[in-house]
Amino acid sequence: MKYILMMNGKKSDFEGYARWSKEDLQANVSFMRAFSKELKDSGVFVSTEGLGWPSEAKLVKAGKNGEPITDGVFPESKEFLAGYWIIDVESPEQAYKVAARASQAPGPGGKPGNMPIEVRPVLSGHADLGL
Amino acid sequence: MKYILLMSGTRAGVEAYHAWPKQDIDAHMAVLHRISQDLTESGEFVGTQGLTEPKEAKVVRGEKNGLPVTDGIFPESKEFLLGYWIVDVANAERAYAIAGRISAVSLNIPIEVRQFATYEGKSR
Repeated sequence: MKYILMMNGKKSDFEGYARWSKEDLQANVSFMRAFSKELKDSGVFVSTEGLGWPSEAKLVKAGKNGEPITDGVFPESKEFLAGYWIIDVESPEQAYKVAARASQAPGPGGKPGNMPIEVRPVLSGHADLGL
Repeated sequence: MKYILLMSGTRAGVEAYHAWPKQDIDAHMAVLHRISQDLTESGEFVGTQGLTEPKEAKVVRGEKNGLPVTDGIFPESKEFLLGYWIVDVANAERAYAIAGRISAVSLNIPIEVRQFATYEGKSR
């Protein structure tokens, strides 16, 4: 079963992250690299991506003639996707264990960040929705 | 340049979608499938994925006694990711055009467009 593990944060969380010391940032990135390697070594890795900053995010709708209309204004409370992992595991419990490990990525001062990770099964086909 | 196009919605929005007649859902899925085909033909397609319903979502934090701490409680206003497309395009405008096309066939709901991050010039 495939699961997506998502890290989300508000714009203010991203701004806080940008103010971390260089060592703390490096420790966090090293953890993420080692974590991906661990997932690969254990055979559950499907993919991972980090996203660009919320300041670069745009919302797009189609205009009357199908032309894109972009807007970069989001509510303060908006949760932006920071990055994700997709893993292929045997059970939801295994996905939660992996998520808990991601949650312990080091934060400022090297302490576990304990940030919440959203875990969702991904669809293998639309039949999964029961539609 | 790689961009991710994110389609999100609240739990209420997802429930309203499920109440659509089957033929409308099938027609919507057929257009989304066509868009993926077009992107494959133009060489811009990287991947797409739909997610299961918000009611199956859990939030996980670090461990207590070696066990992950899970909960499935989210605010009403929470926007859940419904699905995404990853495209590899020449510029941002092209990513916006594709997002506009997806929005146009999906009740004009806004599609969030984000570029992928790199750290020290490398992809993570």
